[in-house]
Amino acid sequence: MAANWFSAPAPVARRVQGFFGPVNRVAQSPVLFDPAEQGGFNLDAPPAPWISLGWIQGFTRKPGSKSAPVMTGIPAATLEQVRETLEAQLSVQFLSWTKLTMALATGSQHMNLLLPASGVVAAADGATAAPAVVVQTGSTAAFVALAATDAAKFVPGSIVAVDADYTGQTGYVGAPVSGAYVRQPLTDIDYIRRVTFNVALVSQVSSTGLTLAEPLLSAPATGAKLQAVTGFVDREGGSFYHEWSALFVMQGSQGERIFFHYPRLQSMVGAEETAIPLNGKNQAGQARVLLKGQFLALAVTDPLDGEHVVCYRSFLPAHNALV
Amino acid sequence: MQNAKDSYYMALRTRLTAINPERTILVRGAVRPGILVEEAEAPFSQLPNDVFVLRWLGLGVDVDLDSTMAAEECEIIYQTCGTQSFGGLDRGRSLSEMDEELVDMLTPFCTPKLNYSATPPAAMLTQVFWDEPGLGPIVIQRDRLTRSAKVMVYSYQEQGE
Repeated sequence: MAANWFSAPAPVARRVQGFFGPVNRVAQSPVLFDPAEQGGFNLDAPPAPWISLGWIQGFTRKPGSKSAPVMTGIPAATLEQVRETLEAQLSVQFLSWTKLTMALATGSQHMNLLLPASGVVAAADGATAAPAVVVQTGSTAAFVALAATDAAKFVPGSIVAVDADYTGQTGYVGAPVSGAYVRQPLTDIDYIRRVTFNVALVSQVSSTGLTLAEPLLSAPATGAKLQAVTGFVDREGGSFYHEWSALFVMQGSQGERIFFHYPRLQSMVGAEETAIPLNGKNQAGQARVLLKGQFLALAVTDPLDGEHVVCYRSFLPAHNALV
Repeated sequence: MQNAKDSYYMALRTRLTAINPERTILVRGAVRPGILVEEAEAPFSQLPNDVFVLRWLGLGVDVDLDSTMAAEECEIIYQTCGTQSFGGLDRGRSLSEMDEELVDMLTPFCTPKLNYSATPPAAMLTQVFWDEPGLGPIVIQRDRLTRSAKVMVYSYQEQGE
């Protein structure tokens, strides 16, 4: 009888794929990943609200937890160990520059450069913006309904930000990702659209609205407005820390999967880039500029047993592999 | 190891049929997808144009694992003189087409291992997997452009192999 199992050696993986999800800062609730229920998901279509950041490189985990011995006797000998501190760090290099990868790779808030109004005074993080247009009912994450006169202001290839007006509130702002923490009331009505992650590229324009090349993180809420974006900006400094849930997946050659789930990650350094020459024989030639992210894992309480943890490592073996 | 070589070839052949069904070759009176294994055909006096020819080269094994791993180097050679309708002036474009087809054929970089000595082929337990191709420079011989790519193909030996 033919064997229906095999002894699987250590996994062989080519690359690491990264997924991030927004931590609800107000409710302090991270995005959880259940490997038993969701472990077989299609890597090209992650379960909501996880957002794929594609392949990453330089994925390095560094546990920083410290243990200390409990000594007893003469001469003293270790009786037990106790965990004194709980800490883990993580670094990655992103292979693309997008709104999300830039935000992940900066230690502070990340902003959209709104299309400025004509004749306004220049500002380092974007001048006073051209007026926003009102989003109509019937909008979805992939289609933003606009009045015909408003839609005519945009062309395919425009980048747009969709979110609510800022009305003087304090605390976390932006949906579904908290883009900033406002400590005191501001005067910029467009502030939330400056920090929102609800941005997308316009692929088609019609008299009824804008079709987006990729969906917004969330469908426009009632009262949302839309503005054109020319690019992105972040600052070295400030007091805000983004917080994300992260999931890293290594797909083995035999179909096995290794997951690293960090419920809470905060960037721990300022923005940093790495230039890698495209041609190793010509170090002075064209170089790819990679965003470098370095993160500190924060603890959560596991409801299973009340333990404090910073990361879950899961392994789904290959089919028919001995365990 | 033969099962891994067969599975790799059949995966590429199936993929080529989907990528470019027009790329075919007449072999022993039968029209087949335009990809051959050199060691499984009668010796060629000259490699055929406009098809992919697989040539198996080096072999390495790692026996210090729970399952022995074999690494076999496969050279994929392809050449073209362009088309008669363009007097061969499109030979560069023809080679570029084959370059793209090669990269597409190799993606994704794995395929299930099957035993093709059985009829129908029997599914085995592991997968055959490989690296990105190392594409060599174009070799020009009069009006013929030739390129070869080398791919390292890995597989685990299963019980009974």
